Parts: sequence; structure tokens; C-alpha cells
Amino acid sequence: MRLKSFKQGIHPGYYKGLSENGPIKKCPSPKKVIIPLSQHTGAPCKPLVERKDKVERGQKIGEADAFITSPVHSSITGTVKSIDKQPHPVSGSFDAVIIERDESIEEKEWEKGVIDLEKISADEVRKKVREAGIVGLGGAAFPASVKISPPKEKPIDTIILNGCECEPYLTADHRIMLEYTDDCILGLKVIMKTVGAKKGIVGIEANKMDAFKLFLEKTKDEGNIDVELLEVKYPEGAEKMLIKALLSREVPAGGLPMDVGVVVHNVGTAVSIVEAVRDNKPLIERVVTVTGKGVNNPGNFMVAIGTPFSDVIEAAGGLKDNAVKVIMGGPLMGIAQSGLDVPVVKGTSGILVLTADETDIEEEVNCIRCARCVDHCPMYLIPTEFVKFARGEAWERMDSVNIMDCIECGSCAFVCPSKIPIVQYIKLGKLALRNLKSKKG
Amino acid sequence: MNIIVISTIAMGGLGMFFAIILAITNKKLYVKEDPRIEKVLEALPGVNCGACGNASCHDLAQKIVKGEAEPHDCPVGDSEVTENIANILGIESKEVITKVAIVHCGATEKIRKKRAVYIGGQTCRVADIIGGEISCSYGCFGYGDCVTVCLFDAIEMVEGLPVIDLMKCTGCGQCVEACPRNIISIEDFSKEKLTSTISIACNNPDKGAVVRKICEVGCIGCSLCEKNCEDGSFYMDGMLARIDYSKVYNSEKWDLVIEKCPAKTIKKLGKESKCVCVTHP
Repeated sequence: MRLKSFKQGIHPGYYKGLSENGPIKKCPSPKKVIIPLSQHTGAPCKPLVERKDKVERGQKIGEADAFITSPVHSSITGTVKSIDKQPHPVSGSFDAVIIERDESIEEKEWEKGVIDLEKISADEVRKKVREAGIVGLGGAAFPASVKISPPKEKPIDTIILNGCECEPYLTADHRIMLEYTDDCILGLKVIMKTVGAKKGIVGIEANKMDAFKLFLEKTKDEGNIDVELLEVKYPEGAEKMLIKALLSREVPAGGLPMDVGVVVHNVGTAVSIVEAVRDNKPLIERVVTVTGKGVNNPGNFMVAIGTPFSDVIEAAGGLKDNAVKVIMGGPLMGIAQSGLDVPVVKGTSGILVLTADETDIEEEVNCIRCARCVDHCPMYLIPTEFVKFARGEAWERMDSVNIMDCIECGSCAFVCPSKIPIVQYIKLGKLALRNLKSKKG
Repeated sequence: MNIIVISTIAMGGLGMFFAIILAITNKKLYVKEDPRIEKVLEALPGVNCGACGNASCHDLAQKIVKGEAEPHDCPVGDSEVTENIANILGIESKEVITKVAIVHCGATEKIRKKRAVYIGGQTCRVADIIGGEISCSYGCFGYGDCVTVCLFDAIEMVEGLPVIDLMKCTGCGQCVEACPRNIISIEDFSKEKLTSTISIACNNPDKGAVVRKICEVGCIGCSLCEKNCEDGSFYMDGMLARIDYSKVYNSEKWDLVIEKCPAKTIKKLGKESKCVCVTHP
């Protein structure tokens, strides 16, 4: 059988065996959490608490007044120590609320409720998802409430549940699919009901056969839910690639999946949506894969949002002596960190620790115009042009070669024989182009 | 033989024909330009830097002659340029205070504290996307983007920090635009009267204890400079000392302030400083 897939892309080593077999463990509740006021795509939150305020686990502590935004909640019970600039794993530093745990008070837990799929209304789901601060847990952290509120002129016919997890090393979604199978399927049904979609597809890469069989078994009575097996290839889990592979539809340049009648959600997001709608539980913890040859006991952990990386790594047995590089996320799209004092945010799917012999420190040399990057770009872009224009600071010309369509998957930099940091140049170009456009007004 | 003669005559004839047409059109279609524009253009620095807001030096020259701009509108030109232009136009020139770029970071390569190893694009702009390798999130990266953009060859990297030659610098502001960390500012500096100036070599607005941890020479916000120099030429902007450059030239307390600064953040720039080569005529 030929598996569904997209054209181009890469086949990196997957290294999932380090952490895919153990169950999700609970990371000990931290003494202190750092909760950044911006953990999502969109308008940053304003704090709702002040210094020395007592906060409860699950209490809303930050909110913004905009359409594309998501509130933040306290993940522990304790006292607000301060609100100021703190290290942030994505943007370097950002305003954050620091909360110290009060060990005398037992932390709040949420009781499991029930969902009556017939009775729930779309508006109620949207409101609950927004209040719970749910964002896409795959990494981009786009507010989930926006994704499930498509405008009327764009009808949605298919919901795709993304269980590809094509990034090497990461196994958080794999474990969620195995341990929260019912919640994943229920979440898919809730989303389908909310946006009025007729069909649901669960896309799973062929290296997670156990999860595929489990889903197939559990959905055999569901006529409108398909479970599809996909080729193991990077970036299969990028939503535009996934839509292409499963439905042969192409998202237009600059458009969103809803333009072709599709909404893609990560499996972890579906579980969080169920927890928000059923139990009224806000997004205050997530599954994080702590892995790599640089940690002693790699595994998957349920971590409270805001826990410093150092605490999470401690829970995984600590760093080995030869650990040199810590990355938030996977090795291809993840962001290298400059310290372990950064907190876990909603978009932290993994903490990867690499050792000295794994990190390639080869020097960047000139482009030899071999076009390997062009051959592997899943978006059919020309990365050589981006580098050329970024070096010459020709930002406007970058727009003419469609830089904004780049999904920053890193396939180009992975195959580059000259070791050019192409994605870094692309990020610089996008940033400069955005600044230029906002300047022009 | 014949061919050579014919071709010589033919080519010569063609040449003559076009030369005559060119000569006639030159006379007939001549655009009269104010001769003063040419003279003003010659008096201007002529680097087309765009700092005045016009497309080129010729553009500014045209506007000056038309009266739409003033002789001192060229931010790059010193008072000599202004005077020359005023003489050409036969108007009185105003006194101009020239401007120079001043660097607000004093952490050299040696004392700069690093929190990680950075491997990637070796320009400040690229490094700034992920914060680079230095501990201070306000300090100089030292890759020298400012040196690359300087049109006047006035910036040199010394021990990993940009050092600006006050006499070559024209205050055009290209380096200010290029610096992703905003550590360069344009300040008043009268080159005729002075050969040196003073700078607070820090741009970190954080509290003293935080700054102290990441930098030996960062401003800790003690406000001693403000107290020691009572004429208001130093003032505190939150936890960071700043200089009011319109007052600093009248101050005679520089040396005292520099000596008393506990973090040695305040630096003298120019003639007395060893780093800067002065090439004033």
C-alpha cells in the first residue's frame, strides 16, 4: 500500500525510541512558576493581579481585549512575587508573573464531568475554549478559539486531527494518543460539532502503528471519522502539508486552512478542549517530552505551565556532563535556549538536550548553488534567493519571492552542504519586511 | 585601397553628421539651470546619505537655492559648509551645532559576559533575532553592523566595541538605524570649540543589582554623577544616568564625575581618549 504523503521534504533520523515507550509521568509541582503574559500568537495579555496577591491554581491572571489573543492562568496556588521582565523561550524576554507556591494549601483538582454532544452549543464551546486560554499545542500557539470560529463565508467541511509529530525526538503527541485516546476522539467530535463539519480525519505517521491501530479500533463504529496512515517524512505534520497529503487540497499563498474548508488541530489541543468544555479546566499544564542524549532519564512529563526548564530537566534525572545544547521543541523547528531559567510555555512541546558530539559546529561557507534546498522545500520556494536578499538587505525583493509563505520548517538548512543558517536569514527577512510594512502604514 | 578610403569617408561623414545634430540639439534643448545650484552642490559634502530627508545632495542644493531649505539643513555639513553656502547665496548664516554619534556601551570583548555559545550569522541584526550570546540584553554584540553602514569611515571596532572618530563623524544617523540594540545616539557636539566629549557608556535601564551581575561597567543607577555635577548636565532616567548634551559643554566638572563614578561607566571620548585618533586640520 502506498501511504499518503506530500512531495519534497526530508527524512532525518527520528530518535523517538529514547522516550516513546514510557508513560506520561507527573513532573513534581515547582516551588516557583514564571508565567509569561504572552505565550500565544496575537495580542499580549495585561496582568489582572498585583504583587503579593494570593492566587489559586487555575485562576485567570492575565487577559487582553482583542480577537486574536488568549488569557493566561496560574498553574499553582500561591502568592504573586513580582511582575516584571523575565526570560522567555521564544522572544528572549517578556513581562511575566512570578508566583511562589504556598505548600500549606492543597492544590485544586478538577472533577471529570460529562459532555452531552447533542446539547452543547457552538457559542458555549467557543466561550469556554477562549476562557480556558487554549492555544495550539503543536508549537505555533495559535489561539484555538479563533480556529474554531470560522467566518460564515468560509464553510468548514473537514476537521483534521494532527497526530503526525514529524519532528525528530518528540513523543508527547504519541503518548497523548495512546493514553488519552477517548479524549482525542471526543475532542474531534466537539470541534466538528462546533464548526459544523461533516467529516473528521485523524492523520498518524506510520512510525506510530500502535496509536494508529488503537484509533482504528476505537472509531470503527464512527461513520464520519477516518483514521489515515501517513508516510514518515518531515514536515508531514505542518498543517499545509497535511491537508495536501490527506485531501489533495492546496492552501492558497498567504491563506489559512479555512480557505479550503479545513481546520487542523493537534491531538493535544483536542484533549485540552475536552478538558475545558467538560471539566471547565483551563490550560495550566501540558505534556512535554524531555529527551536527547544529554539527559539521564528521557521521558514524557505532565508539566505545569511556567515551570523553569531546570526543574523539568531535574525531573528527568538531570543533565549529563557532556550536554551542551538545550532546545525548546524539536531539533528542526525548535529554538536554542541560552539558559535553563526559562519557563515552559503553552507552546513547549519538548525540551531537547544535545551532547557535544551531536551538535555540528561546521563553519558556514559560500553557497555553491547546488539547489538542494530548492529540491527539498515543501512549499516550493527558493531558499537561495532569501539568503541572497537577506545578505544584501533587499527586503522588498524578498516579498517578490514569497518569503511570507515560508513555514520555517528548516528542511533547506538541514540539506545545505554549505551549512548556511538559511532559516535564520528567513526569520530576519520576515521581521524586516513586517517592520517595513508597518512603517509604511 | 579603395575600400579603406570609402570606409574612412563614410565613417567620418557619419560622425560629422551626428556631431552636428548633437551640437544643434545641445543649443536648442538647453535647460537653463541656476549656476548657483552647481556651486551649492560643490559646497555640500556630496555623499548622498539622505540624512536631510531629500533624495540626494543635488535635491537639497536645488531646494536651498529656491529658498525652500536653509543653508544649515544639511545635518552632515559643519559650520564651514553652511558658511560657504550662505556666501554663495549672499545671505547670512546661522551658527550651527554639529552633531555626532555617541556609543552607549562600554563592555569590551574582554569584560563582556557570555551566557551561551552562539553559532550563526555573524551580523548584529541576525544575532539579535535570538538574543545572541552576551548576558546583557541591551549591550553591544560587537559584529560591527555600524562600521559597515558608515559612509564616512568614522567607526572602527576596537576591542569589540565601535569607537567613533568625532572629527570624521557627521551625525548622519546611519549607524543609529543599523544598530538593533539602539546603543548609538546622535548628540550635539561643536567641533570648532571642542575636541572631546563625554558619554555614559551603558544603555541598560535595569536595577543596579541586576546590571552588576551581568556587567562590570554597567550603570548601576547610583545617581552620584547627578549629585556631583549640580548644573543639571547629568540626570537620571529611571535607573540609568543620562547626559543633557546642550549643557555638558559648559561643565567643568567632567573629571570629578568620571573619577567618582563607582562603576566607571562614564567615559571621555575624543582627543584625551587614547582610542580615538583625532584628525582635525
